[in-house]
Amino acid sequence: MNLDNLGFFTSVSEPIWLMVEAFTMIGLFLYVIFAAVVLRQVNHMTTTLEVGFEGAIKTVAWLHLIFAIGTLVIAILIL
Amino acid sequence: MPEIFNASKEEIKMEGHVGGVKGHHSRKLSEDPLQLKKSLQISIQKEIPEPYHNAVSAFNYYPHKVHFVGADKQEKIVLLLRRHPITNLPWIFMAFVMVLAPLLMSFVTGVDFVPVSYQIIFLLSWYLITMAYVTEKFLSWFFNVNILTDERIFDVDFVNLIYREITDANIDQIQDVTVQVGGVIRTMFNYGDVIIQTAAEIPQIDFKAVPKPDVVAQILRELKVEEEAERLEGKVR
Repeated sequence: MNLDNLGFFTSVSEPIWLMVEAFTMIGLFLYVIFAAVVLRQVNHMTTTLEVGFEGAIKTVAWLHLIFAIGTLVIAILIL
Repeated sequence: MPEIFNASKEEIKMEGHVGGVKGHHSRKLSEDPLQLKKSLQISIQKEIPEPYHNAVSAFNYYPHKVHFVGADKQEKIVLLLRRHPITNLPWIFMAFVMVLAPLLMSFVTGVDFVPVSYQIIFLLSWYLITMAYVTEKFLSWFFNVNILTDERIFDVDFVNLIYREITDANIDQIQDVTVQVGGVIRTMFNYGDVIIQTAAEIPQIDFKAVPKPDVVAQILRELKVEEEAERLEGKVR
């Protein structure tokens, strides 16, 4: 990645942005794991208690996981 | 057990605390358990609304689509309770602020020194966190339920996304029911806590911030009397 092209060295030095990038990647990766745990927990809860609204809740949990993976992929591509 | 049979011709008193005041509820039990059961059903119908089920409602009376792990096949779910929807207002407001926060931040502080690519990722991450917050709060409300069947009471606590707790007690183990409604908002929207003292291993089960707490306590008492009547009939499951 050529950081010079991003044109942001006006007030912050390169090593700091590299650290920010690394922390962002680690954070997003951990978030994907968290989103997967949420999905598993939702599946477990909808099995424990069925009230006729399971489809919508599972959809939200899946969207959350997809959103997390999407953000990680975008971060890998553009940072 | 012998006291129950001896008491069938006499007036039986159930002690209870309703609205924070200790009260006495008297009921004359008939000699015929079937007649007693019939009269109880009539009294329940008079005081309690029609069967009602909505998947996201806080007060479901005789819900027809509900099933939970641990329920017997013959067990009928009488009530499914959640916290009153008004209790969700604080987190809904917070979520609204979180959604608008990036917009407000761009007006207040200059973020020009941050490259566009980082701005995009931070914005996406922020909305990811917002989504997780909303999901966690909604699931916490949705799955924190109190279930009342014709045999048992269940308290399902969905503490957070990775921890949950399920407590149950038999109806005939209920010793005392206390209703607590305090404060302007709770009085205005008619919701409060129903505290159930039991003779089970866990001595107290709390139904927190449930709608119509007096009706819930009334149903609990009716079910307890009905359970005693069933015992007289010899229909104990």
